[in-house]
Amino acid sequence: MKDSAVEVQNLSVRFGDFTAVDSISFAVRRGEVFGFLGANGAGKTTTIRVLCGLLRPSAGYGSVAGVALDAGEMAIKARVGYMSQKFTLYDDLTVEENLSFIAGLRKLDPAVYAKRRDSILAFITFQRPLNALIRDLPGGIKQQVALAASILHDPEVVFLDEPTAGVTPAARSRFWALIRDLARQGKTIFVTTHYMDEAEQCDRIALMRAGQIVALDTPARLKAEVFPEQLFELEAVSPVHYGDMDGLRDHPDVAFFEPYGMRFHVALRKTVGGENLRRELASRFRVQAISPTLEDVFIRTVEGERR
Amino acid sequence: MSFRWSRAAAIAQKEMYHVLRDRFTLTLALGLPVFMVFTFGFAIEFNVKNVPLAVHDADKTQTSRRVIDTFGSSGYFLVDPVVSPAAAQQAIDGDRSRAALVIPGGFQKDLLSGGVAKAQLLLDGSDNSTVGPILGYVASIEAIASRRIADFDPPKPIEIHTRFLFNPELNSRWFVIPGLAVAVLAILAVLLTALTVAREWENGSMELLLSTPAEPLEIIVGKLAPYAVLGLVGLAFVYVISRTVFALPFRGSHVLFVLGGILFLATYLALGLLISVLTRRQQIAMQLAMMAGMIPAFLLSGFIFPIASMPAFFRYLTMVLPARWFMTIARDSYLKGSTLVEMGTAFLALGVLCVIIIAIAARKFKKDLEP
Amino acid sequence: MMRTLRAFLRKEFKQALRDPRMRILLFITPMIQLTLFGLALSTDIKNVDLWAQPDSNDYLLRRIYDRSVESQWFRSASGDHNADPFELVRSGKADAALVSPPGGLSRAVARGAGDLQLLVNSMNVLEAQAVEQYVRNISNAVIEDDLHIKRPEFPISFEVRVLYNPTLETAFFMVPGVMCMLLSITTIILTGMSLTREKEVGTFEMLISAPVSATEVILGKTIPYLVLGIVQIPLVLAVAVFGFGVPMRGSFAVLLVASVAFVCTTVAIGTLISTIASNQQQSTMGGFLFLFPAILLSGLMFPIENMPAPMMWASYVDPLTHYLALLRNIMLKGGEGSFVVKHVLILIGMAVLLILASFRRFRTTLQ
Repeated sequence: MKDSAVEVQNLSVRFGDFTAVDSISFAVRRGEVFGFLGANGAGKTTTIRVLCGLLRPSAGYGSVAGVALDAGEMAIKARVGYMSQKFTLYDDLTVEENLSFIAGLRKLDPAVYAKRRDSILAFITFQRPLNALIRDLPGGIKQQVALAASILHDPEVVFLDEPTAGVTPAARSRFWALIRDLARQGKTIFVTTHYMDEAEQCDRIALMRAGQIVALDTPARLKAEVFPEQLFELEAVSPVHYGDMDGLRDHPDVAFFEPYGMRFHVALRKTVGGENLRRELASRFRVQAISPTLEDVFIRTVEGERR
Repeated sequence: MSFRWSRAAAIAQKEMYHVLRDRFTLTLALGLPVFMVFTFGFAIEFNVKNVPLAVHDADKTQTSRRVIDTFGSSGYFLVDPVVSPAAAQQAIDGDRSRAALVIPGGFQKDLLSGGVAKAQLLLDGSDNSTVGPILGYVASIEAIASRRIADFDPPKPIEIHTRFLFNPELNSRWFVIPGLAVAVLAILAVLLTALTVAREWENGSMELLLSTPAEPLEIIVGKLAPYAVLGLVGLAFVYVISRTVFALPFRGSHVLFVLGGILFLATYLALGLLISVLTRRQQIAMQLAMMAGMIPAFLLSGFIFPIASMPAFFRYLTMVLPARWFMTIARDSYLKGSTLVEMGTAFLALGVLCVIIIAIAARKFKKDLEP
Repeated sequence: MMRTLRAFLRKEFKQALRDPRMRILLFITPMIQLTLFGLALSTDIKNVDLWAQPDSNDYLLRRIYDRSVESQWFRSASGDHNADPFELVRSGKADAALVSPPGGLSRAVARGAGDLQLLVNSMNVLEAQAVEQYVRNISNAVIEDDLHIKRPEFPISFEVRVLYNPTLETAFFMVPGVMCMLLSITTIILTGMSLTREKEVGTFEMLISAPVSATEVILGKTIPYLVLGIVQIPLVLAVAVFGFGVPMRGSFAVLLVASVAFVCTTVAIGTLISTIASNQQQSTMGGFLFLFPAILLSGLMFPIENMPAPMMWASYVDPLTHYLALLRNIMLKGGEGSFVVKHVLILIGMAVLLILASFRRFRTTLQ
C-alpha cells in the first residue's frame, strides 16, 4: 500500500506481564484525519508513542511515513510531529524561545526556521508578541502554539494525543478547524480524543478497548455497522425511576439500552417481540426513531461487551 | 468559617497516600536517618591516630632510634623513613605525610654532653583535622621521650588532675550522634516540606486545593502532618540506633527530648512552608531550604563547630536558630540528664521561635491566597 | 549536533537565569556563604566558661584563674562561693571548673602536693582536650612567673614548625573545604533537578520526540550546569583570596583544570540520579543521600586516616576527597607536581566512568 502514511501489523506492546497493546493492525491513508477513541488505559497513548519512535514495540511490524519501525527511532522521529497529552512547552520561556529551541532540536537551518515560523504562526493566526511568556497565554492559544511547535519541521504525519484536553469549547472548535486545514494541505493527522463531537470530524476512527481495536471505519459506516437495528430515543412523559427501567434493560428483545439524562436510547431487535415492545413503549414514552451518535457506537462497542 | 480537624484530616489522608505511594521518596526519607547515623557513627573519630609521619634520621644512634620508637609506639603516628630532610618536606608537599620528624646528626652527642638534643618536627598546616591534635601531643611526647631516654622527670609543683564529665572516655560518637537527631529532623522537615508545597504551586494543584472550602490553616495542617510523622519516625530511628548499635547513654527525660523534637519539627515545618510560599518553584525552594534550614543546622548549631568559639556577631546570630536550641536539648538529654529547669532557656527560646515562625508562615500563606 | 547543542544552551541559560532569584542564588549566595562560614567557623576553642572557687587567700588559684580569663580562651563563669562545681558544669553555667585541694592550692603547693582538679564538660571531645591543654600551659606559666621556678627544659625537645599555615589561620583550613562543599551541592542538586523537572512537567517527552541522540540531550542539559559551576569557582576563589587572605600559591590554570574535572564528576552524578528519580523531590533527596557521606568522608571535617578500613576505601572513590586534597595542595602548598597529576588523573578517570555510566543509563525512549 503505497498511500499508507501509517501501517501497522500485529503490533504488541507489553510492560512486564501487562499487555498494553495487543496485536493490532490498521493502516492510515495519506491526508487522512484518523481518530483513536477509547477509555483511559485502552492503549491509545502507548500506540502513539510507538508510532512516534518513543517506545519500542514488543512484537509486530509497522511503518510510519514510509519508514519501518525497526529502521530506528531517529528516522521516524525526523518524519513525524508529536504533541503529547501533557502540556509540552516551557512555561518560563517565550513563544519565540520555545520555537527556536525546538528548531534547534530538529536541526532546522535558521533561515528555514524563520520562514517556517512565520508561515505557521500566520496559519494559526497568532497575533500576540513573540516575546510573550508561554505561561501568560490563555489555554487555547498555548495549545495552538504547541501545535505550531509540533509541525515546525513540516512532518508528513502529525500525532496529537488528546490535544484539546482542558480548553474551552470555542478553542476546541478553532483547533479542529486547524486540523482540517492541515489535512487539506496533505498532512496525515493521527489524533486521540475523548470528545465524540471531535471524533465525528475524523475521516475514520478506530475504537480501542483493552489494547485491541474493536472497530475501525468512517463514523457513518461505524454507526451503520454497530447499529443494524433501528435506534429509538425514548423521552419520559411522566417521571420515571431508573429502577423501573431495569426490566427494559434486561429485556431479551432490547439490543442496546443507555440512559442520557431523562432520555433513553434503545435499539430493538428486528423480531416480533421487538416490534411488540416498540408499540408497548409508545404508550409510556414519546418514541422517536434516531440515527445513532458516535457516543452510542462507543458505548456499544467499547463498554457494551457485558450486555 | 472556622478550623475543622475533620477537613485537615482529610487533606492529611490524601497527602499520606502521596507519601506512601511514592516509594522512592519514602525509602529515602526513612533510609536517610539510618544511613546517616551509621556513616557518622563509624566514620567519626576526632582523636587522631595513624598519622603518616615521614622520618629522616641523620644521627642513626640508639637515642635517635628510641625517639623514633616513641613516636611509633604512641599510636598517633605511622613512621615512614625517608632518605633526606628534603624528602621529608617533599612527603608533606605531596600529601604523602601529614608530619615529618627530622633528627639532625649529633643528636645523641648533644644529649650525652648534658645539652638539649633538638629535633625538628614539621606539621602540615593545610589540614585542620590533624594539625591541632598533633600540636597537643607534642608536649607529652617530649615528656615521655625525656623520661624514657634521659630518665628526666622534673618535679611538678602543680599537678593538674582532669575529670572528664559526661563523656569520660572522650568518645567522639557521644558528641556527634545526639547532634544527628537535629540534623536528620532539619533535613526531613524543611526540605521535604518546601519541595512538596512548592510542587503544588508549580503544577497548579494548590489552586485546586484552595478552591475547595478548606481553610488555609486546615490545608497547612493537613499537608504538613505526614511530614511531621516522617520526621518523628526519623527521630525514633536515630534514637534506637544510637542506643543499641552505638550504646550511647540516655540520662535525661524522654518526654523532654520528644517535646523538644516536636517543637523543633513544628518550627522547621513552618520554615519549609514559608520558603515554599515565598518561592513557589522547587529549584529555588531547595536552595533556600538549604541556606535557611540545613546549612545552619549543620554548621552554626554547634553540631561540629562550637558556638562559643565563633565571633560575637555569630554567637548572637545562632540564638535565632532553632537548631541551636534543639541541639542543646538533645545533647543535654543524652549525656547530662538535664531537667526542664536546667534546659529552661533552650525550651523557652525554641518555643518562642516556633510561635514566631509559624505565625509568619501562616500569615504569609493566608495573605498570598487573597487575590 | 552543534545546532542542537547551541539551542539547548540558549534555552537552559535563559531558564536558569531569567528568574532573578535564581541569579542571586547561583552567584551571590555561594560568596555570602563562603564569607559567613569563613568568618564564623573555627576549630579553635575559645570563650570556654571557666569557674573557680573565689578565695582571696588562695593566691595561686587566683593567678591561674585570672590568667586563664586574660588569655581569651576562657571567660569567667558566674556561680557563687558555695556553688557545687559539678552542678555548675551540669547545668551549663560553666564548661569547666577548677577545684583546689582542701585549704587552697597555695598551701598545698607549699606542702609539696599541689594537686589541682579540673572538671571539664567532655561532651565535645575536642573542646575537652583543648581545655586540659590550655590549663596545663597556664599553670606552667604561673609556676614560672609567680613561683619563680624555672621550667626545666626537656633534654629531648622538638622544634615544631607548622608549614603553609604557621599562624594556624582557620580560614586557610575552612575555605577550601567550604568551596568544595558548595560547588558539589549546587552542581549535583541543580543538574538532577533540571533533568527531572522536564520529566515532571512533561516536556521530556517533547524533547525526545525530536530526532536527538542521548548524547545531545545529556550534553545539552548538563553543559549549562557545568559552566555555571565553573563560573562559581573564580567568584568563590576571589572571596577566599581577597576576603580572607587565603594564599593562592599554585597555578590558577591547574586549579581550573582540576575544577573542571571535578565538576564533570558531580554533574555526571546529578545526571545519574536523574535517571533513577522521576520527580524533583526524589532527585533532591537522592542528591543529599549521596552528598552527606561524600562530604563526611572527604576529610573536610574528620581525618580520613582515623576511619575504619571500609570507610577509608569509600573515601578514595569519593570525588570530593580528591578535589579537596587538590584544592588544599594547590592553594596552600603551590601544587606538588606528581600529587596534582595523580589526583587530577583520578578525577578525570572518575569523570569519564561516571559520564559513560550516565550515557548508558540515559534513554531517549520511554520505558
